[in-house]
Amino acid sequence: MKPIASAAAHVAAVEAEPSATVSQPTAADFARGLDERLWRWLTLSPALLLLLALSVLPLLNLFATSFFTVSWSGGHSSFTAAGLNNYRELAGDTLFRAGILNTVLFALFAVGGQMLCGFVLALLCTGVARGRLLYRTIFILPILVPGIVVGAIWKLLLNYDFGLVNQATALIGFDAVNWLGSANTALASVIFVDIWHWTPFCFLLFLAGLQSLPQDVYEAAKIDGASGWQELAYVTLPMMLPTIMVTFAFRLVLAFKVFDEVYLLTGGGPGTATQVMSFTLYQRFFREDQTGYGSAMSVAIIFMTCLLLSAAFAARGRMGAAR
Amino acid sequence: MPGRNGRRGLTRRQVVGAGGAAALGLVTPWRYAVAAKVAPMTIVINQSPWFDSFRKTVELYEKETGNQVELDVNPFAGSLEKQRNSVRAAKGQYDLLIMNGGWVAEMYFGGFVEPIAEIDPAFKLDPDVYTLDNTVYFDAAKKAMSAGGKLMSVPISPLIPLLYYRGDLYKEAGLKAPETFAELEANAKKLHKPPGRYGIVQRGARGPASVSYDFYPYLYGFGGGIFKNQSAGDYTVTLNNEAGRTALDYYLRIAKEAGHPQTASLDQAEVIQNMLTGKAAHIMVVISAWSQVDDPDKSAVIDKVEFAVPPHAQGFSTAPGLGHWLGGIARNVPDDRKRSALEFLRWFQTKEAQLAYAKNGGIPVSAASYRDPIAQERRFRWMKPLGDALPHAVNIYQFPEASEVISILELGLNQAVAGSTTSVQALNGMAEQIFGVMSKRNYNTGKLPALP
Repeated sequence: MKPIASAAAHVAAVEAEPSATVSQPTAADFARGLDERLWRWLTLSPALLLLLALSVLPLLNLFATSFFTVSWSGGHSSFTAAGLNNYRELAGDTLFRAGILNTVLFALFAVGGQMLCGFVLALLCTGVARGRLLYRTIFILPILVPGIVVGAIWKLLLNYDFGLVNQATALIGFDAVNWLGSANTALASVIFVDIWHWTPFCFLLFLAGLQSLPQDVYEAAKIDGASGWQELAYVTLPMMLPTIMVTFAFRLVLAFKVFDEVYLLTGGGPGTATQVMSFTLYQRFFREDQTGYGSAMSVAIIFMTCLLLSAAFAARGRMGAAR
Repeated sequence: MPGRNGRRGLTRRQVVGAGGAAALGLVTPWRYAVAAKVAPMTIVINQSPWFDSFRKTVELYEKETGNQVELDVNPFAGSLEKQRNSVRAAKGQYDLLIMNGGWVAEMYFGGFVEPIAEIDPAFKLDPDVYTLDNTVYFDAAKKAMSAGGKLMSVPISPLIPLLYYRGDLYKEAGLKAPETFAELEANAKKLHKPPGRYGIVQRGARGPASVSYDFYPYLYGFGGGIFKNQSAGDYTVTLNNEAGRTALDYYLRIAKEAGHPQTASLDQAEVIQNMLTGKAAHIMVVISAWSQVDDPDKSAVIDKVEFAVPPHAQGFSTAPGLGHWLGGIARNVPDDRKRSALEFLRWFQTKEAQLAYAKNGGIPVSAASYRDPIAQERRFRWMKPLGDALPHAVNIYQFPEASEVISILELGLNQAVAGSTTSVQALNGMAEQIFGVMSKRNYNTGKLPALP
């Protein structure tokens, strides 16, 4: 038997759902249940209607608009049916294609980096006995900075001619690098800034997760003679998996929506090196005022995001089932 | 017009008030007499380098006339969005729209701007005010901005690029201000001493209107163009003709041989920054940056920068692209506020207002200001070249879908500057895409055979 086996059994026990005792319902139970369900629906209906009005209807409107071309004349709009043309054009849109690829790369590397850094920082912070509050405050500082200020800070730091980063690297003999202006480094620079900005989000969720883990499992692992790495691999990570998945899902959705950092730092360039989906949508919908086509692009982005989330949660489900 | 009590004609109080006002008009300076007392109004405007001068001029208008003006100030893109939201509503929020040349066609074609004659048939544009390639007019029947159309707006800021060059370096090297592209190239190469100083710094970054705006004086100065004849409704794409290739090859060559090593990532602010810090011998940027070069808080090259008309190829005239601002009155605001906006425009186009505007750091829209002795003052040394260049300014786009074409140019030109495509690939690619946009919108368009 492996030394951590009993700890793993504890983990399984902690995660296992308590089994419920099921008895046969009577007719009175059924009637009471029906009343309760009706009452529940009645009380919920105002909120549901509000949700419908605020969320579903705008989405339906977006979906409907995506089948039209909108133009203006004499101060009035006119909608011309476009069928599926707006959706067909998406495939040939250079910026949209580049946006998908870059968004996927951005999401993978930025979220991966944030998860890793956030988890390591949370682990370190959990292990610190004194000054935890101070560390925690320092680590969460970047998330408190508004996006526009983050853009200003890093635009200045990474400036080719006057930036602090190039001035610092010049001191140790390196040539100046055009961090935001070279196709080789621009996307990596934006990802780095995003990691800097959003790692505290992961850190906070992971820290909360780590602090809520039951200590008896760790005590069992210690009794079993588990090393620090084994504790991490067989106790901490499995118990943290729900928190990790939720954090990942949150960050993934937010990473897919990235806009401000690209808008402020690179404007999608050079070329299409940092073109992301949201920025393409901004260009087509707002700057170029292509309402119908922009709506089609919006629908496509929402669809892709839902698909991705479904995949993430399905993966979580499979992992849970496998364990 | 019915009085407050519903009767037609004037009340005794109105007659006495009007008489008093008329009497006051006889003894007050011209300024008070020019602008009538009107209802408060709101101007939507962008936060550009010239905004401060406009704000001060508006304050002068308020002081002189007692009329109230509220300014709604926004970033470039934000101003367009606010204008769209306002003019497309049943009732507009903004009375006077400060429209950029890039979106003025959208406003005219969409029917969002009231022709001025419909507010006041007696209004006349001052003959000294530049009409900026007739962009103040719109012929709805012909769907063209031409002098035969109705007056739709009054110029607010006649922005075009000028050549900024280091006069001190020119003096040292015994050079004269370049008139042709060949001279500019030779001078830029001579003054190119990287990394301390670059012969020329260009705006090669991709943006809303960045590298394309930088390229227009070269494209049109070499006799090229994007379309064959927009005013005549011929939208045949001519970007990839021989003149276009010569222009782009030249633009890329000077960037490579006398330019900044990271041209593809430089936007307007960085280009100006290079000049202000003494790292650029030449830049060709919008004239509104003039006040910064002599600003002791911003510039290390005070009194060292001179201005010249954008160069051109031998046999062609200078052709700076318009990046101007026009004041148009929204159609969907109450009549009294339309009249308020027009009163301001009436006052703004006078020579006195224009001179005050220039003294506040603005760029006058009236040729009278450029003839005034003020133009001889050292700090206004940009006025003569600007006055010389303005009659040649080119309105690049006359159709509402311009932003789609600009987007294509921004990407294609940026990729060419970055070296990821050749000039021929870039021109052919851009021309094909622009043709696609114009075809989709049913314009009378065509295309040239691809450049070999």
